[in-house]
Amino acid sequence: MHKTISLALGSICAIFLFFTMISAIRFMQSAWQPPQTQEESDERYRLVLITQDLGTPFWNKVGEGAEEEAERLDVNLEVWGTYGEDREDFLKQLEIAIDSGVDGIIVQGMDEDAFDNLTKVKAAFYGIPVITVASDVPMSESMRKTYVGSDALAAGKMIANRLIADMGEEGVVVIMGDDREEYDQRRRLEGIRSVLDDYPGIRVEYTVTSDEGEEIAAATQEVMNLSPDVSAFVSVDANLTAAMVREIGRRSQLKPYHIYSFDDHPDILPLLRQGKLDAVVEQSPSEMGEIGVRMMVRWLDGDTVPLDAEGYPTDIRLLTTEDAQ
Amino acid sequence: MIGIQRKIWTLTALIMFIMASIWIMLTYYNQKTQDQYNDILQRYLHMNEVTASSRQTVNSLNIYLLTPTEGNLSSLKRNEQLLREARSSVALLRNEENDFALTSYMNLIDSLLEATDRSVMFQSERENEDSSKAFAEATRISRYISEMTLQLIDIELNTYERFYRSIIEQAEELKKLGIWILLSITFGLLLFAYWFSLSITRPVEQLTKAAQELAKGKFERQIVVNSSDEIYFLATTFERMRVSINNLIVEMQEKARLESELQKSRLLLQESQLRSLQSQINPHFLFNILDTLSKKSFLEGAEETSDLLVSVAGLLRYNLKRLDRAVTLHDEVRVMRQYMEIQSARFTDRLRLVTEIDERCLSVQMPGLTLQPIVENAVIHAIEPSESGGTITVAITDEGDRVAVEIADDGPGMDEDKIRGILEEREMQPEGHSTGIGFGNVVRRLRLFYGVTDVIDVENRPGGGVRVVLKLPKTRRSDTYDKTADRG
Repeated sequence: MHKTISLALGSICAIFLFFTMISAIRFMQSAWQPPQTQEESDERYRLVLITQDLGTPFWNKVGEGAEEEAERLDVNLEVWGTYGEDREDFLKQLEIAIDSGVDGIIVQGMDEDAFDNLTKVKAAFYGIPVITVASDVPMSESMRKTYVGSDALAAGKMIANRLIADMGEEGVVVIMGDDREEYDQRRRLEGIRSVLDDYPGIRVEYTVTSDEGEEIAAATQEVMNLSPDVSAFVSVDANLTAAMVREIGRRSQLKPYHIYSFDDHPDILPLLRQGKLDAVVEQSPSEMGEIGVRMMVRWLDGDTVPLDAEGYPTDIRLLTTEDAQ
Repeated sequence: MIGIQRKIWTLTALIMFIMASIWIMLTYYNQKTQDQYNDILQRYLHMNEVTASSRQTVNSLNIYLLTPTEGNLSSLKRNEQLLREARSSVALLRNEENDFALTSYMNLIDSLLEATDRSVMFQSERENEDSSKAFAEATRISRYISEMTLQLIDIELNTYERFYRSIIEQAEELKKLGIWILLSITFGLLLFAYWFSLSITRPVEQLTKAAQELAKGKFERQIVVNSSDEIYFLATTFERMRVSINNLIVEMQEKARLESELQKSRLLLQESQLRSLQSQINPHFLFNILDTLSKKSFLEGAEETSDLLVSVAGLLRYNLKRLDRAVTLHDEVRVMRQYMEIQSARFTDRLRLVTEIDERCLSVQMPGLTLQPIVENAVIHAIEPSESGGTITVAITDEGDRVAVEIADDGPGMDEDKIRGILEEREMQPEGHSTGIGFGNVVRRLRLFYGVTDVIDVENRPGGGVRVVLKLPKTRRSDTYDKTADRG
């Protein structure tokens, strides 16, 4: 009798003790220490990469390349930016970067007075070096330390050479550009013209439009109406390409036309794969980020002073439909 | 000895200890959580403070620019001071995650202060355009600070998310742990209390049982209590009491037995006194006649008859005198021989007596008239009924501390019932023509005299006849027989 009661109570007690132990262990394990606070700020360089087109594959690659390089060089890099080319916000972020006293700014160039003002006056006032990446702004206007990215002139030439190879030495070529006519667009155009000007049989129609879909379509229609014998299109601003191709496709077959563009927009590669584009200039975004960070660190360390004002060109390749498959 | 009080103290102390440790644990945990919550709140408050004081700074800058008085300037300076303090308190919030943002944040505050100072400076130099430009910048920076605050809080939330969740989780776990602890303590204490109460009640039960046994009068069983506390003490005392009661009872029984023996011997004495009185009716008359008869027979030439008469007179005298006295075996043997002489005259050659007597043993003390009645019994039973008579053998031998007297006959033997009756000292109807003293009387007197029971043995011999063996101790156990005899 006594034994039974003792045994029963003892075993119940043991079971509960077991569960208590488990619960206690879980209780201990669930304790999570808050992150340690630091007394001193990081001694590393604080760099900011600011872009207008956050989230596109092109700029993602730039960001990845920059971050990899930053990790390798042990600098603190943050990627800031705006989505969908919000220029106002972009400029604000640039100003915040300057005001918050970062050690270096790597920024997508923007050919605008406000941008120039910030880089030339304010950044210079605070002594913050600025490197443009992917899109350049002339040094005289922006006081940038250097430019890292594709040589727009060379890219233009590459397209033009390809165009001649595809089309022949005669024909009408429509060049479509953004009406903001930014620096790198101008350089691309310059590059194309420098090649095509050597061929008297080739007529170049240059048209500009804003970057809104309807405007692009209208501009495309207009240029096709004015020059019905057009045989090639070159979109020097990748943002316009998709709308342009759509509009051409709506009017007639795409096949007879030679259409060329640049790769700095997410729509471009799918279009190329579908065969709607004949060739695009492929740039090296990850290399841009990488070299941008490297150059900035070199400048900050005083290893390479001054940086090459002409810039550090990254690889460009011509990518055709076949290559993209 | 672990006392019951100490057991209770232990139990109480144990419960107190468990309760206290749980209380301390809970208090410690609560305090820790409270501190953590305070820290978290502090972080948010510090950040908010920066936003508020930056707005205040811009606001008071605006007021100063509109009405540049000393008072407004000092209010601006005060706000700037507040902002600087907020900045330094925010500096403590740095961790790995927000390092970049926090540095930017602090630099923004510096930029704001710098822009403010610039604006004030331009104002004092009457360069109003530059001053308002700097004010516009300060306003913008203040806005950036607000945004950055939100961003920091966002980072904060992300960084601390796991921590916050762990706090919630831990609170949940604590609730469960509390329930488990409550359950295990409840059952643990039940178990402990059960053992504890058992350790008190079990000895009490054993003691109660023992007391009941005692109450029923069983004093023999030993009291055993498995305990080491006060109950044990009680039990040992009780046991000692039982033992002494038991001893007292044994003593009392012994006394009662002695008392009854005394009573018996008194009765026996009275009986023998009565008999001796009866036989003393006129002993001198009888002795004189026997003497006269003896002398007359001698004168008439019947010498044999004369001797016989002398024997009869001797036997008679012995019979009357020696009944209540201790005599020696020697006297007894002498009387036995006289008796046999008388009986020889009666049975002539039918009665044969064989004696093997160790003379050294004859000095042993024994009650008077014991041998003669036994021999008489043998004569009556073995010789009288038989045509051809019989042989009676009397052997006295030394057996160490005792002397063995063996009286054997070759008659038909005795009933087993009768032998048992004799040994149990039952009074029998005297048969034949004995001298008057029965066998039973002899046995009783022998036992009383020596104070031992195995003094006599009666048995039927295998080849017929009865054998009576007396084992007389050489030293008597007590002198009670004599004393009582003296008193009687």
